[in-house]
Amino acid sequence: MYEKIFIAQGELAAMLERLSKEMDVWVPVEMGDEKWGVRFLPYYRDNVVVLDRQSTIGPKNVLFPQVETLLRFRYQKDSQDPSKQRIDLKDRQEVSSALVFGARPCDVRGFFTFDHVFLNGRYKDPYYAQCREKTLFATLLCDTEDSACFCSSVDSGPGDREGSDLWMVPVDDGYVIEALNDKGRKLIPIMGKPATPEQIEKAQRIQEQVTAKRIGEYDLTRSAKDFTGRFEDMDYWRDMVSRCISCGICTFVCPTCYCFNITDESRDLEGERIRSWDSCMFYHYTLEASGHNPRPEKFERYRNRVGHKFSYFPDTYNGMISCCGCGRCIRSCPVFIDIRKIVHHLKEAVDAEN
Amino acid sequence: MVNSKEESTTKKDLLIVGFLCNWCSYGGADTAGVCRFHQPTDLRIIRIPCTGRMDPLFVVKALIYGADGVLVSGCHPKDCHYNEGNFYARRRLEVLKQFLPFMGIHTDRFRYTWVSSSEGQLWQQVVTEFSETIHGLGPNPGVHGESNAKAMMSFFD
Amino acid sequence: MEDKAKTLQREFLKVFEKLEVVLGWEPGYDSLHASPSFIRQVEDLNKLVWNPLCSQNLCNYLVKTLNASVREDGKKIGICVKGCDSRSLVALIQEKFVTRETLYIVGIPCEGTVNWHRLMRFEPSLKDVQKVTIQGQELVVETAQKTYRFPLQHVMEQRCLHCRYPNPIIYDLLVGEPITPHAGDDQAYGDVEKIEQYSLPDRLKFWEKEIDRCIRCYACRNACPLCVCRDSCIVETRTPKWLAQRCDLKEKFFYHMIHAMHLAGRCTECGECERVCPVEIPVTLIKKKLNQIVKELLDYEAGIDPQKQPPLLTFDPSEKGI
Repeated sequence: MYEKIFIAQGELAAMLERLSKEMDVWVPVEMGDEKWGVRFLPYYRDNVVVLDRQSTIGPKNVLFPQVETLLRFRYQKDSQDPSKQRIDLKDRQEVSSALVFGARPCDVRGFFTFDHVFLNGRYKDPYYAQCREKTLFATLLCDTEDSACFCSSVDSGPGDREGSDLWMVPVDDGYVIEALNDKGRKLIPIMGKPATPEQIEKAQRIQEQVTAKRIGEYDLTRSAKDFTGRFEDMDYWRDMVSRCISCGICTFVCPTCYCFNITDESRDLEGERIRSWDSCMFYHYTLEASGHNPRPEKFERYRNRVGHKFSYFPDTYNGMISCCGCGRCIRSCPVFIDIRKIVHHLKEAVDAEN
Repeated sequence: MVNSKEESTTKKDLLIVGFLCNWCSYGGADTAGVCRFHQPTDLRIIRIPCTGRMDPLFVVKALIYGADGVLVSGCHPKDCHYNEGNFYARRRLEVLKQFLPFMGIHTDRFRYTWVSSSEGQLWQQVVTEFSETIHGLGPNPGVHGESNAKAMMSFFD
Repeated sequence: MEDKAKTLQREFLKVFEKLEVVLGWEPGYDSLHASPSFIRQVEDLNKLVWNPLCSQNLCNYLVKTLNASVREDGKKIGICVKGCDSRSLVALIQEKFVTRETLYIVGIPCEGTVNWHRLMRFEPSLKDVQKVTIQGQELVVETAQKTYRFPLQHVMEQRCLHCRYPNPIIYDLLVGEPITPHAGDDQAYGDVEKIEQYSLPDRLKFWEKEIDRCIRCYACRNACPLCVCRDSCIVETRTPKWLAQRCDLKEKFFYHMIHAMHLAGRCTECGECERVCPVEIPVTLIKKKLNQIVKELLDYEAGIDPQKQPPLLTFDPSEKGI
């Protein structure tokens, strides 16, 4: 039973075609003609899959859609007795299996944060749980880092295989794909022919080379205390965050951001309850019904974002940083706020005191 | 907030939304009714205090969400009950009328006129002509996402 | 171009004690990006730079962050503006959001700014960039390894291709020589006309396809210097509820039309909305069409004359032809 196959670049489309008969396959495609950005969409025949750069928006949508219907309802009035009402409720239906093809280690790592919050607490989120169980990840070894990437600064790396079901290494003019667990093994026979020993050896060498790289010069994993120390320093936050325009892009493209709203959208007697993405960068995030807002200024909101990712989350979940180092927030920010610098300089206050 | 602008059905009547100013045009429509002038039945009237209240977005919302046509009618310029409302309105609505085709919505699906409260006959004419125009254009194709839009929404249904 | 940076630093140093803050650009997270800079200490003045990467419109901060209509301590706000930025500034003055007296404006004639996405399409492997300048009709990028030359047409921002006002129209100090515009008046709306050549159903399809990608992040709204409603914005109110939380195409289409209509006759085509869009939707096009309509119908362009009033905020009883 072979576990490693080789697929040539030119045969990718055929392979994706075969896979899409078994399950939904999500692939990175270009935003449009003559556009640079890449996003994840369900595969269909004319898609051109783009694997040579990171996607602008990651595959967060697959497990945590931007808009998700939780239930549908309809009021049925009794014409004989107007005071009586029956409610028809349609709950979620079955979710089909899915494969995310061409994600990168940073994308997969983002879901560890989700797992902690949605699965491991007192209440398990059934919607996320169902999708998570039925979704596989075929992750690409990443050798296309750019100046915004910093996965090594948050305990990960471009060769990090954790959390993936299949692992792809670019070799020659194609990929060596290896199954990392049983779920992945089931797909191997459909994907391609066994890899030759030379190809396997090349893949091994590339893996070693890439894993040895350090992407991101700082170490941001121990910033919790520094953050608390600098919490009150409004001058620091003003300096760093004045240029923010509170647009929310950073939270939308971030693979670890999981805040959501639940709203009922209805019309006349029927409607649905939907869950949609929320962003801590918006004023309305902490706006209370009384009209009071504990975080009226954008400095406070950005401080909360940094605090959540690098201080509150690790404190609650055994040191796990809620950041995967993908750099999307830096790249997509309209004013290029660099969260690495902000977190790294937190310790200056502490160093200055010592 | 009136929200029941349904998708137009395949029945003979198309859905035309009318925004009539309370003082002149609503009175004009009333006059037409009192005189028992025959009019097509596609028009659904919404009363607003003045065309100055008319936000171009009412029109856009109606057309995007499935109305086949939108008609706005108010007092004649210089005769506005509130003096200036329709001066503002005519600028906004003309800009809107020329903007709609750029986004792919036929400009004839929107029309604005000035009908005073004694002009019942004119009102009948306006409604009949506009109805015919809309019937000629057919039901509003509306705005639809391509199949990839599903990717951004939920998994099921 | 480096000289201009030094000139800027020197000029601001001269007047620094009269200024509360200086808005300019500083180097961004790598050598291909620049970020807005809020300089409050005199020693930070040497962070200021000027190059084709300085694409942000700093007027965006005047109302929303700095509240530039009120200044009690007599200190001014120093701000650097390119040609397009100066139009936004004039538009803010026209609508009385900003008082001219509170500002110390340094204008810089601009030959164009680089769109990073388009540059990446040309040469994704650019590394170790040391200097970016514009020479004639080319963008010259010097790295540690070699010098690249790209035709400006292909790597500039969309807004720069149709730029008619490269020289700031309002300033206290001009740094640099005036430049000839890239486009004449007749070419200003070339991209709008391109869309108008499609048939009506094709236009609808085009916009459906582009707007479908929208993720309603509202960056276009937040980056617009003239969108000052901020947290009372119509898209986020619930009383009345114009837009649902859903991400249907209908909602997104409606959002883009709202945004454009609220800017009719006020938009100065600074192009920030299109630059900041993470999914690269050509949003400035919609606003340009509205500007074209207002120009033809009411003979008005926003952001040119500080004394004029935007026509959709006022009326003329004796108007004909409408």
